[in-house]
Amino acid sequence: MTWNIIKKQGLQLLRNPQQLLLLIGLPIILITILGTALSSWMNGENPDIRAKVAFVEHSNEKEQVEQFIDGLKETMPSGELESISGNVENLMVIDTLKNDIFGNEEIQEFVELDITNPSMLNQLKEDNTFTAIIEVPENFTYNMLEKIILDKNVEPSLSVLYNDTHQIGGSIVESIVTQFQEQFTLSVFVNKNELDQSVLQMDEDGIIGEVTTINQKNSITSKDYYSIGMAVMNVLFIAATIGSMALYEKKNLVFDRVILAGVSRWVYFIGVFLSGALFGFMQLMIIYLFAWIAFGVTWPNLLAFLVVTVFFSIAVGGVTVLLTALSYRINSEMITNFFSSIIVTIMAFLGGSFYPIGDSLVVIRTMGNFTPNGAGMSAYLSILRGDGLSEISEHILFLLIFAITTIIVAAFSFPKRGAVK
Amino acid sequence: MIELVELTKKFKQIHAVKNVSMFIEKGEIVGLLGPNGAGKSTAISMLSSLMEPTGGDVRYLNKSMLKNPAPLRKVTGMVPQEIALYTELTAEENLRFFGRLYRLRGTELNKKIDEVLEQIGLTDRRKEVVNKFSGGMKRRLNIGVAMLHDPELLIMDEPTVGIDPQSRNYILETVKRLNSEKQMTVLYTSHYMEEVEYLCDRIYILDKGNLIASGTQEQIKSILSTEKTILVQANRLTDEFVNAIKTNPTVNRIIVGEMEITIIVPKEVNIFSWLIKLAEESGLELSSVNIKTPTLEDVFLHLTGRALRD
Ligand SMILES: Nc1ncnc2c1ncn2[C@@H]1O[C@H](COP(=O)(O)OP(=O)(O)O)[C@@H](O)[C@H]1O
Ligand SMILES: [Mg+2]
Repeated sequence: MTWNIIKKQGLQLLRNPQQLLLLIGLPIILITILGTALSSWMNGENPDIRAKVAFVEHSNEKEQVEQFIDGLKETMPSGELESISGNVENLMVIDTLKNDIFGNEEIQEFVELDITNPSMLNQLKEDNTFTAIIEVPENFTYNMLEKIILDKNVEPSLSVLYNDTHQIGGSIVESIVTQFQEQFTLSVFVNKNELDQSVLQMDEDGIIGEVTTINQKNSITSKDYYSIGMAVMNVLFIAATIGSMALYEKKNLVFDRVILAGVSRWVYFIGVFLSGALFGFMQLMIIYLFAWIAFGVTWPNLLAFLVVTVFFSIAVGGVTVLLTALSYRINSEMITNFFSSIIVTIMAFLGGSFYPIGDSLVVIRTMGNFTPNGAGMSAYLSILRGDGLSEISEHILFLLIFAITTIIVAAFSFPKRGAVK
Repeated sequence: MIELVELTKKFKQIHAVKNVSMFIEKGEIVGLLGPNGAGKSTAISMLSSLMEPTGGDVRYLNKSMLKNPAPLRKVTGMVPQEIALYTELTAEENLRFFGRLYRLRGTELNKKIDEVLEQIGLTDRRKEVVNKFSGGMKRRLNIGVAMLHDPELLIMDEPTVGIDPQSRNYILETVKRLNSEKQMTVLYTSHYMEEVEYLCDRIYILDKGNLIASGTQEQIKSILSTEKTILVQANRLTDEFVNAIKTNPTVNRIIVGEMEITIIVPKEVNIFSWLIKLAEESGLELSSVNIKTPTLEDVFLHLTGRALRD
């Protein structure tokens, strides 16, 4: 019975070329336009994007270097010692990172370095406006000089904490840190400091050490971003479309026929829900299929992708049945019109479909993640960055709760028997 | 077979149906006649269990259907006032969808679809989408959908609104045929008295929620036995002429058309010569003055002082 209703719904959608064009064609066009026009902006070449990076040093570098040179006095031949101590400034690796790399004019255009002290660390971690926090542990420079010059077996490591919600900035910072690491490992550092190459036993992996990446494994291109943004936004229109078709069924008395045929109004209700979920799912798949073929948007974790799509579609089904129930109740197109013209725009904006607005405004990101499209979008972006199911479980849980809530509210607002007219 | 007992429906502002009692026997064609807004659709909705009445009862085979309307739903087919179809779907797809709702399937469903298409004369248009249909064809399919489950009682709510005369005749003939060949009981709602007069064995006349007359055509028309209806046709009408008739104390009721006036007077009154004199005085040329055989329209006029169609 439910299948009969869904099948009919599918036929109706198929026979509505304008509607189809709007549901499938429009997002595809938008992805193409936005993804292409904004690709340079997304890839960080545009100075409008600024990443804030916090830099925390646990101990004074200059003292470490002096301490290190003091220690050398006893063991090192004075000639060699002089050549090292004459270059104190050049031994300050962290200083190099801060001033030469982050201080580079080009980089300064989009990275703002904020040097703070360790007592602020917890506060920084709470503050979502930072794209990354670079933490230099105690005696990092000392240990590193020991490793480089004395070939001691220590592993100094710099810890970099990325903010998982800053899609663009994160990749910029990551590339800078990598660049720094390369600058170190390759002989650049050596040449620059005029140190005896034989003294320096460069260890390629050991110097910068481990970079603690939270969610910044793959970078997101503008086509990735807008494929997701447009998909999660436009699927909301299918809810409005099916909702208004359902209201039309009431207005032209088809719904009466359904009831008179002895079909429970709950069967109809479920039919509307499943139609919204199923056709929402199909719409998403078509858009992503296009994104894959045309723009090479691929999913590293196909299972996670499918799980998010299924749960997101269920949430869309919830929206569909809620819009339908409310429309039946007030018996007017107002609800679906208002939804597709105003609410969708607001939700898309909060969810980041147009612009990664949550990157700079914590409140908006939080609100965005409490919209189905925003939660879906965050989950999709996480998957693209290389996350698995466990990292996106929060969003999936939200989508599920959202779906259940909308279905319950819809069920309570759906007119009772005999009150449909 | 079916009985409405003092059925009442109050909406927030409107008392749409007031204490309406009716009955329908098996095999009858019963007419429910009334102008727009009389409460016909509301009464039908309550009868068919789509709307809960404010008061009264709907009884089928002597059982109240208010709590559990399933037995009644099973035997009724409802032709709604609107074209309750999916216009993007073909005739056949519509029939298939609604047939499935009635739990028909497989060859049984196919047979039924063929049969209904034959009855409504759309067999060779079955693969066309309803959008492409004329108003009359849509109305026919609207009826066809209600017949898929072989209902004993067909309730038709203004099934001929807005279509050409030919399609209208086709529909009227179909109703007659269904009644005579398949013994289908029909409740036919309309504001066209000719249709009701042509089709129905018994008639109920509804106005502003009240039943104002009921019975066979003869019984209803006998209401007019104490009055007669005079139809006056002229080349034009003047206010002076109309007002003079209106103020004549022997005239009971008057309804003014563009070039004709219907006048109801007591049977014994003779105002022929008076009318002709009046016309002369007003400078009008009368083309005809006739005593009409009473119609349901006249009965309605007699009872309400208004025309059935405004
Ligand atoms: N759902 C409703 N709510 C409020 N008023 C209604 C509703 N349905 C009908 N009415 C009113 O009840 C009266 C009777 O309407 P209806 O039964 O449709 O008349 P008919 O079918 O004879 O044209 C009208 O005045 C109409 O405006
Ligand atoms: Mg009506």
